[in-house]
Amino acid sequence: MADRITSPEQLKALAQKAKSDIDLREGRKETQVTVHMGTCGIAAGAREIVAAFMTELSANGVSSASLHQSGCAGLCEEEPMATITTADGTLYRYGLLDKSKVHTIVVNHLVGGTPVDAYLIKT
Amino acid sequence: MHDLSLYLLDILENSVRAGATVITTTIVADRAADELSLAVEDDGPGLPVEPEQALDPFFTTKANKKTGLGLSLFRQAAEAAGGGLSVGRSQELGGVAVRAWMRLGDVDRPPLGDVAASIATMFATNPEIEFRVDLDQDGTRTSLCGPDIPARFSELTAFQEALP
Repeated sequence: MADRITSPEQLKALAQKAKSDIDLREGRKETQVTVHMGTCGIAAGAREIVAAFMTELSANGVSSASLHQSGCAGLCEEEPMATITTADGTLYRYGLLDKSKVHTIVVNHLVGGTPVDAYLIKT
Repeated sequence: MHDLSLYLLDILENSVRAGATVITTTIVADRAADELSLAVEDDGPGLPVEPEQALDPFFTTKANKKTGLGLSLFRQAAEAAGGGLSVGRSQELGGVAVRAWMRLGDVDRPPLGDVAASIATMFATNPEIEFRVDLDQDGTRTSLCGPDIPARFSELTAFQEALP
């Protein structure tokens, strides 16, 4: 279970980051992290994955990526899952996520620039 | 789904996906009447079908899917706890209104869960949408709206912690 947000300051910081992400989206292309939150994703733990990405993006100082949510991607058996869209439009779909995998993805992919092949959905 | 906050998150996601710009969540706990209700209303385009069809687990508005389990699962959980679920048009906002109610003390009522986390998730990832939250516990009412939500977030956590 992800850590709960327990203070107004924490939520305010998250909201301010999200608002700044919107500003970014109106300008140049950026990296987008989308957590899929259809019924299947929510039942599989997508809410905790959103919280994990919030924590890891902040902890690793990733300011070039914005966090979003969307509905079911049609791969329910891979939930909870997230799609990373890079500035050139390339999609990376990660499945069966947990907090540890999110940490690895943020560090290796979003910070290091190397996708984590072991967690990518093979279609 | 193991708690009500996840059903709530699912309904909120439906409203976001429908294109709503204002979404209201109302949670009422009435110990004297032994009732707990959760409602979500939005200003989206509304239901494209009759309400009963929207509750059909084999109905969905998504082109790439054949099932829509969220509302039907929520209804099943509410009915198991002596309540029900209704879907209709929001009188206030003009979009969809979903309301589930159940016996507060029913042994089969799912726990409320982390409603604050569900609200925070949608609030933080959809900054273009105005979220409103109305809470009522035994007649004591609290309303959180848009930019006020972060500053008054502790009221939301206090509400959920006061309920089983």
